Amino acid sequence: MDDNIRQLIFQAIDQTISPEDFDRLQDAIEQDSEVRTAYLRAVHMSGTLEDLASESDAGEKTDAPAVHSNPTAKRQRGLFNSRLSATWNWLAAAAVLLAVGGTAFWFGQRNQSSVSDSPIAENDSSDGSESRIAGHATLRHAIDLQWPSDAVRRVEGDVLPNGSFAFEEGVAEIDFFCGATLIVEGPAELEIESDWSVRVIEGRLRAMVPPAARGFIVKAADSEIVDLGTEFALSVGDGNSQVEVIDGEIELRGGEFHEERLLTGESRVLAGEKADAIGLADIPTASDMKRRHGRVAETRFNSWQAASQKLRQRSDLIGYFTAAEMTSERFLPNVATHGVASSAFLSGPVTRTSGRFGELSPGLDFSRPGARLRMQVDGEFEAFTFACWARIDSLDHRYNALFMGDGYENGEPHWQIRDDGRVMFSVMVDDSQEVRLFSKVDQKIVHDAGLHRVYMTEPIWNSSMSGQWLHLAAVFDPASRRVTQYLNGQPVSHHPIEDKFLVTRLRIGPAEIGNWGQPFRDSPWFAVRNLNGTIDELAIFNEALADGEIRELYEQGKPLGY
Amino acid sequence: MDSSEVTSRKSEDREQQYDEFVALLARHDLAIRRFVRFLLPSGDGVDDVIQETALECWKKFTDFQPESADSTADDFVRWACVIARFKAMSWQRDRKRDRLVFRDGVIEQLAQAALDALDQQDEERRAVEACLDQLPPDQRRLVLSVHSPSESIARIAKETGENARRLYSRVNVLRTLLLNCVERRLAGEAGNG
Repeated sequence: MDDNIRQLIFQAIDQTISPEDFDRLQDAIEQDSEVRTAYLRAVHMSGTLEDLASESDAGEKTDAPAVHSNPTAKRQRGLFNSRLSATWNWLAAAAVLLAVGGTAFWFGQRNQSSVSDSPIAENDSSDGSESRIAGHATLRHAIDLQWPSDAVRRVEGDVLPNGSFAFEEGVAEIDFFCGATLIVEGPAELEIESDWSVRVIEGRLRAMVPPAARGFIVKAADSEIVDLGTEFALSVGDGNSQVEVIDGEIELRGGEFHEERLLTGESRVLAGEKADAIGLADIPTASDMKRRHGRVAETRFNSWQAASQKLRQRSDLIGYFTAAEMTSERFLPNVATHGVASSAFLSGPVTRTSGRFGELSPGLDFSRPGARLRMQVDGEFEAFTFACWARIDSLDHRYNALFMGDGYENGEPHWQIRDDGRVMFSVMVDDSQEVRLFSKVDQKIVHDAGLHRVYMTEPIWNSSMSGQWLHLAAVFDPASRRVTQYLNGQPVSHHPIEDKFLVTRLRIGPAEIGNWGQPFRDSPWFAVRNLNGTIDELAIFNEALADGEIRELYEQGKPLGY
Repeated sequence: MDSSEVTSRKSEDREQQYDEFVALLARHDLAIRRFVRFLLPSGDGVDDVIQETALECWKKFTDFQPESADSTADDFVRWACVIARFKAMSWQRDRKRDRLVFRDGVIEQLAQAALDALDQQDEERRAVEACLDQLPPDQRRLVLSVHSPSESIARIAKETGENARRLYSRVNVLRTLLLNCVERRLAGEAGNG
């Protein structure tokens, strides 16, 4: 077995593995029994070493007590020898259970052993990889946010991890996982600490706390503001800090006003001087946010429509479909002026839902297995560019379709996303061959019907991006022998087309958006590949678009908050 | 027989079952724990999954039917492991958002492989111990440091003035050596048996 995989196994056990490598490891475990055995053996060895290490610790108890740099992470260690605790606790509880004849007691106690934060976040902050797997809140609305040059840019729907969230201008609405919502006006700097707490270093904000989130803590200056229900406003900046209850009750902890409770209309200066009278009440409310969001979205929508009108006149467009222009219940017209593709026919349970400009624009949802948009595209082409706006809710199937040629016959394209978040683009070279080839990504020989090469990106999607709009594009260019794939206007993968996989006569024929209903001609299989998500715009060009053109498509079409 | 007698008979049965269950669980807890550890990449949550497994096993204990009296122990472990597998899956599913967790397919494959190798665990442990004994003391300490609450690579790095990153990669080399040694030993024993 190759040494890389073995290193990944150790990294997984030590929890220093990156999400990408972890996916690689999972693929290897799934596909190779040797890797499985090696993994089990390595875990078992670690367990034994843990036991031996703690035995030798126990033997050295008289030594000066060791300083644990990270007690919470260590607490989870020693799994093989700390067995007494968990099971015997359980037995004690079960005895009670037997006596009281119910399970309520037990479940009530259980949560106390809840797990600490992932040590990855503590050990491995250098490469920023933890942001993808840990989070405490989502960015619900982002209006005109301007970012400091060194800050991580966020888009609507992003999961916000532990740490700093700062912007220079604009208004952000943040939903914490506990249920509390903050509307924050820039310039602002927050330190997100957990699902239940946030420190405000700068900014004006309104906090709305429903009953389920009672106890949510906002820290400012030396004080902690504990919300006991509903709504308060806070302003922090230039050494001043002031809080006012808009509705309900808060409790202050720490600082000058320790244990003081404030009711509707009451306010306190936590630090510095009292702000102007107009100060706090004009921070936008949730319905202000919604209205403003609607207005800005409308502007964005209009400018996209203008760009779209221009785009459809391009002579190299094969097909251009926007859900905003559905003419009837069953047809989505090809609005490309010179496009040869037929209209798309809504087949099965395709449902109309919100598109990327919210209520203004519809999108088509393919989340049910029979849902598909069918079309016929005659002709031969020299190059392909596929571009679409898609919202992925989850990658439920092994392969999740964006655009698929029916039979996957010679020259036909397949564009889909694998369950590990990799986008795959391929064109059939010779469907009469049976092929065995070595897959670099999967690190193994794969068996394939037909000669073709699947060009894969690194994983570009994970479940924290569920519900976010993405602009995806794939350019297949036989003339310059390159395949390039893009995410949100930026190239994410380049592959050369090798001689063996060169196809110059490109076709589409009968094809589908959002599903793949008609697999190989001779196969009885029905692959379930519907996209659990929404597509609201898709364009196919008989041309290899340049980087700049793809970026322009993204810029002209991006929704609010991107 | 009046109804209170029925109740007390029932609770006597239940108590007897309970004793039997506790005995089985106490004896095989380690095997189940190891099995669960295989399915959770970071090791976080082993306690939670074990507890939920134990509770579920108790709830379903009346369904547990060993094939014969001789095979009770073995059957119990396998039965509990099947329940543990589902508990591990749902535990991970709940936490998919924020940490590294295996997908269901991987858990299934690992669970099957782990069940197949259930009998080998003691042998494997002996092999690890024997292989570790062959290392010189400083290497032994280094490889154990990763797993010890009172030791750390950082501390060794400080003591010896060596670069921590380099030490860590040396640990990985040592672990690979150990694993190879374990594999050889196990293969040897199987050959001899």
